[in-house]
Amino acid sequence: MNAPMIRCRQLTKSYRKGKTVVTPLEALDLDVPAGEFLALMGPSGSGKTTLLNLLSGIDSPTAGSLEIAGEDIARLSRRELTAWRARHVGYIFQLYHLVPVLTAFENVELPLLLSKLSKKERHARVATALDLVGLGDRVHHVPAELSGGQEQRVAIARAIVANPSLLVADEPTGDLDRDSAARILDLLRGLARDHGKTIVMVTHDARAAAAADRTLHLEKGQLLGDACGHS
Amino acid sequence: MRAFLNLLRLSWLQLARHRVRSLLTVLGVASGMFLFTSVETLQRSLARATETSAADTLLVVYRENRFCPSTSRLPENYADEIRRLPGVREVIPVQVVVNNCGASLDVITFRGVPADQFTRFAPEIRFIEGSEEEWQRRDDGALLGEVFARRRGLSTGDRFDAAGVTVTVSGVLSSPNAQDNNVAYVQLPFLQQASRAGLGVVTQFNVRVESSGDVATVSAAIDEHFRSAQEPTDTRPEKAFFAETAAELVELIGFTRWLGVGAVAAVAALVANALLLVVRGRVKENAVLRTLGYPGRAIACLVVGEGGLLGLAGGAAGVGIAAGFLRWQSFTMGNEGQTLAVQPDLAVIATGIAAGLALGILASLWPAFQAIRQPIVHSLRH
Ligand SMILES: Nc1ncnc2c1ncn2[C@@H]1O[C@H](COP(=O)(O)OP(=O)(O)OP(=O)(O)O)[C@@H](O)[C@H]1O
Ligand SMILES: [Mg+2]
Repeated sequence: MNAPMIRCRQLTKSYRKGKTVVTPLEALDLDVPAGEFLALMGPSGSGKTTLLNLLSGIDSPTAGSLEIAGEDIARLSRRELTAWRARHVGYIFQLYHLVPVLTAFENVELPLLLSKLSKKERHARVATALDLVGLGDRVHHVPAELSGGQEQRVAIARAIVANPSLLVADEPTGDLDRDSAARILDLLRGLARDHGKTIVMVTHDARAAAAADRTLHLEKGQLLGDACGHS
Repeated sequence: MRAFLNLLRLSWLQLARHRVRSLLTVLGVASGMFLFTSVETLQRSLARATETSAADTLLVVYRENRFCPSTSRLPENYADEIRRLPGVREVIPVQVVVNNCGASLDVITFRGVPADQFTRFAPEIRFIEGSEEEWQRRDDGALLGEVFARRRGLSTGDRFDAAGVTVTVSGVLSSPNAQDNNVAYVQLPFLQQASRAGLGVVTQFNVRVESSGDVATVSAAIDEHFRSAQEPTDTRPEKAFFAETAAELVELIGFTRWLGVGAVAAVAALVANALLLVVRGRVKENAVLRTLGYPGRAIACLVVGEGGLLGLAGGAAGVGIAAGFLRWQSFTMGNEGQTLAVQPDLAVIATGIAAGLALGILASLWPAFQAIRQPIVHSLRH
């Protein structure tokens, strides 16, 4: 069997809050094979977002190892981690977090602005990403002129435009009606199945979790059951 | 480089799409830079008019203890004696009539000179309009310095009167010597009669020395020569005279420097405040950009880019308005017949625009630091 896309061992994250220390994640083991669409469920405060932040390299673990595509990102410096994120991860937020003054097209272009691509190549990639999410003729509208579902599709296009192998999504359908949510889930499933993306999605919604290949439950910083695929 | 330009474009989009806020900030910066440029223009104009340089070869001979041109009465024939002194290359008698002897913003100065000697004494002048021949042809002809002509909106053929003298414009001239550009040259006998000074009486002699090294010795020699004459003289470089007679003006203008400093501080505070608000409003947005792989310095660059653009736009607007205003108004300050044209030059314009840019950048450094101080996850939970 190939090495997993994500491999966490004894992954721990704690924060200091004044004199007390909170540990949202404690000694967590997790393997996610490449191309898997994984759903993470769990009560509020169980550490789901914290885990996504570690997987996406916007936060660093306090202890343990975290290998992604064979690279131990816990060892990277802040600067290296930034460059690593730009290449390997796409982050999808619950509230989309598009830049309000930019059009859909410009928002999707954002991750490429610091690359060495020419304007022509950039625009070609943006167009491809927008095509994939099926935004149609709304690409030159600003976020305020789009529906929630459309905004989330723009956000997904922005997450995939740099062609990362890992996508993390924090309650991507949490703010959407059922139809829009279904379209987003279809889109994510397609990205895993047809484009080989590894996806880790946090959700509170069992129906959303059902769209994934596997569902894991997090509680008090621990995964329930065997998260490393040993059977 | 491409990345930098892309960031700059992003800064620009942020400004352009928050139009009202950006315009208000630019307006504030422009007001400050208008004041700064006006003060700077005043300072530089004064420096040009009073600071003698090594290249100056022009001396002015006045009656000793004169106050105002009207009390300096010298016999016109002193010119022949001055011309014979060693080190003197050229001398010209000048009758001066002003409409206002005290400090004023709208001084009109007539200089009466012998028509046949004018261009010989000042070969550096250039005619913008009309010609020397036209000027010589009519008794009441006047050659206007370009600043004076612009201020009064006069051109060849116009008639005007001031200080009881009525003349017809027969040309406009431009000269590297600032004083020439602020006055009206008329023929000596005409002015002597019109001002009732009487023929044979002049206010001063302008003397050109052989080399700038001779300035001190020639001045001393002239005053020594006339020491026991009926009308003793006082000779100095033209700019030194101005620095002395306009001492109060110099002091006053020196004080305005503080206004310039105040304007600069206000601009910096305004930009810094505007950007701090911007940064505070964009905590999440910047955290998202960093999540996308933007390094901290790129975010800082975005903030500094906005500051720089605001400073540059405000600077250019303020400087442009100030330069246009000062040129259009062509203020000419004067004191005791010496004039100071408040005219912006290219250096002032360039300094003003560069200062706007630099202030914008400086003022955005602290907000830029604020923008990247917090860890990403902290800002995302904001
Ligand atoms: N940056 C931080 N500083 C301090 N404490 C934090 C920080 N991030 C998370 N925590 C704490 O860690 C715990 C887990 O937070 P986390 O956001 O991961 O929960 P979650 O499972 O995503 O919850 P929800 O379903 O409500 O989003 C919480 O108790 C939270 O207060
Ligand atoms: Mg969460």
